[in-house]
Amino acid sequence: MKDVQHLIRVVIIFAVALVGFLSVRSLLVPKSFGKLGHYRADSVDEFAAQPRHYAGAEACKKCHAQQVADKAKSSHRGINCESCHGALLGHVENPKSDNKPRRPKETEMRAFCGHCHERTISKPAKYPQINLKEHNPDAPCNMCHQPHQPK
Amino acid sequence: MTIMKNFSRKQFLKTAVGAAMVLVSKAFSTPVQAAEKFFREPAWKRKKPYWGYAIDINKCIGCARCVDACKTENEVPREAFYFRTWVERYILRRSGEVNVDSPNGGLDGYLPPADPETVTKSFFVPKICNHCEHAPCVQVCPVGATFLSEDGVVLVDKKYCIGCRYCIQACPYGSRFFNPITHTADKCTLCYHRIKKGLKTACVEVCPTGARMFGDLSDPKSAISKFYETENTQVLKPNLGTQCKVVYKGLDKEVR
Amino acid sequence: MDMAIIEMLRGALGKVSGFIYPNELELQWSVLIVLYPYITGLVAGAFVLASLERVFDVKAIKPIYRLSLLVALAFLLVAPLPLNVHLGHPERGIEIFMTPHTSSAMAMFGFVYLWYLMVVLLMEVWLDYRKEIVEWSISEKFWPKRVFYKILTLGVTNISPRSLEIDDKLGRILTIVGLPSALLLHGYVGFIFGSIKANPWWSTPLMPVIFIFSAMASGIAGVMLVYMLACWARNVKIDMPCLDTIGKFLLTAIILAFSLEMLESLQTVYEAEEHFDIISLLVEGKLFVSMILIQIIMGSLTPIFLLGTVQMVELPEKARKIFYALSGTLALIGILAMRWNVVIGGQFFSKSFLGFTTYKMELAGREGLLSAIGLGILPLFILAALLYLLPPWEKTKETI
Repeated sequence: MKDVQHLIRVVIIFAVALVGFLSVRSLLVPKSFGKLGHYRADSVDEFAAQPRHYAGAEACKKCHAQQVADKAKSSHRGINCESCHGALLGHVENPKSDNKPRRPKETEMRAFCGHCHERTISKPAKYPQINLKEHNPDAPCNMCHQPHQPK
Repeated sequence: MTIMKNFSRKQFLKTAVGAAMVLVSKAFSTPVQAAEKFFREPAWKRKKPYWGYAIDINKCIGCARCVDACKTENEVPREAFYFRTWVERYILRRSGEVNVDSPNGGLDGYLPPADPETVTKSFFVPKICNHCEHAPCVQVCPVGATFLSEDGVVLVDKKYCIGCRYCIQACPYGSRFFNPITHTADKCTLCYHRIKKGLKTACVEVCPTGARMFGDLSDPKSAISKFYETENTQVLKPNLGTQCKVVYKGLDKEVR
Repeated sequence: MDMAIIEMLRGALGKVSGFIYPNELELQWSVLIVLYPYITGLVAGAFVLASLERVFDVKAIKPIYRLSLLVALAFLLVAPLPLNVHLGHPERGIEIFMTPHTSSAMAMFGFVYLWYLMVVLLMEVWLDYRKEIVEWSISEKFWPKRVFYKILTLGVTNISPRSLEIDDKLGRILTIVGLPSALLLHGYVGFIFGSIKANPWWSTPLMPVIFIFSAMASGIAGVMLVYMLACWARNVKIDMPCLDTIGKFLLTAIILAFSLEMLESLQTVYEAEEHFDIISLLVEGKLFVSMILIQIIMGSLTPIFLLGTVQMVELPEKARKIFYALSGTLALIGILAMRWNVVIGGQFFSKSFLGFTTYKMELAGREGLLSAIGLGILPLFILAALLYLLPPWEKTKETI
């Protein structure tokens, strides 16, 4: 017994270290960890609480029923308002806020509509496309095409 | 001692014969069992809701509204090397050459291809986290900071991520990046904060052509379920067995 | 926001060749992660060398038994540092121990490391030195040192023959346990890379095996050089039979590591899967110098030739020493290059297999060259301290 005393002390040190580790661990591991799986369950709620910027199409109907109705009859019917007008949750929550719907100026119009309608070899063939340089190069698009009722 | 020896020899023979018989019977029964094992019930048959995503290559016009909306909605740094979603353009040429580009993720637009007469085919491929059922990123995370949520979304807990970047290495699709603000791994959350409230993801919300689609796979009547069930779809890098939940319609063999 | 990184990446945009997924511009694992498997490899290799004496009873290398253990310990203490410095949140590194994800090779690091450090290496060193520690705790004149030894005795000064016999037995058992542990420690480092199916340059079951053998080569070379240097510094004659034996083991380890690496390459070339084109472009281009020239020609073939010559031709002692020193140094450089080629090389090409990104090593900065050099030589300072506190020479003097 006397000859293994030093080893017994080592074992004690290891045991103390293990207990120390386990108690530190119980303090440091977040409460919700492991509830649903090997992760912090609370983080799921934190994700759900992240602030939004896009309001979603439903929100526009309340005030802009006419435009929504017009658009619904046009070939742009599948496009949600914020696709062209930008992220507008701030506008929905407070219409007077600085978060104004994006409305391209006449000079920017061709580039703006061109985003989707400029002819390229890569777009699906049936998709309506024009050559920006040849198709009435000086006219803003909305001279002939109303974005809410395009023809 | 000798009795012991004989006994053990006898015992050994018995065991060996027994083991051989078990193996032989297994050999005959295995094919049937294997066939049963091949059928794996998808998670969305059991859990509600369970989110899925689909992309129709034939509808994408490369306008990159989705890329822009994603950066806005999720406050992703506006640099040309941090994307939760991006749009690639593929140009296939008669020579067999394949050119791919995605200038600023698609936000900067695409220059007309050189030598258009040699182009045989060109199309856009939107990319996004595939929210794999068997996500390699989740598998390698050392601390459980990235995980597959109960409703099928792969998320990164930015308060718990240690920033070792192992998950970025493990993702076969380049869907993850190291966020320079939070100093943690970052990726598509499938707009978890929106879908939880019944809204669409930002990218689906703004997609003008319906090339992007998302919904609840556990609802057999949902459009996404119909898409999964009736369309001919493909996933990226199927050989890796990650079981992507983003399916593509009209995916070309050259797409990586 | 980390503007320095952003600026660096903006600059890197123009240097991309071909197509990469946009997020792949940033090379995620820097030079520090090159250092990490290198250091861990040195630990494993040094330990394997030590166990040759203990487990396989290779008497000739007795003079370096303790030295190898101390080298292993010095490097092991530094091994996790490059990893932790590299983390985006170093302060959260402890989570690896708190909530280890069992499916992650990296999480298992914590446990293999602790097991190896605490149970195997520290215990083995302690058991081996216990007799001297007890003696020094009485005879040492410099009081802080004496207190240090007193603490190390754990308050037990019994060094009866029976207790020392027990220590020796236990030490032997620990070495036998330690051998697989050392292989596990480094094999798992190989597995960190080998298990990443997304990256064909890494994903091979041979990766852990290659890592183990190259680790042995680096550890043996490292201990050999430290031994030669220490003899020179202490003005003591080098034990030539010992050095010759180490040379033989070094040759064996390099040959094994090199053959496995070549087998792996052969397999890649022969199978010529989807990723073959990009891999061959990688080897012919960005890795030509570090892989073909440094790793293969300089770091593997030359030492094999030099050490092979020593085996074939009877050379005078002086020439042998030069050959050993040269091949040891070359092997160490070659294996560092091998780690570079694996870690950095594996991140150069896009997982689309259509292009390459670039890597510009910072000079200063947390993950820069200076920081890597600092962490690379830190083990040598620790080793110097260990040699001062636990001189490994005494015992050999008595026995010889």
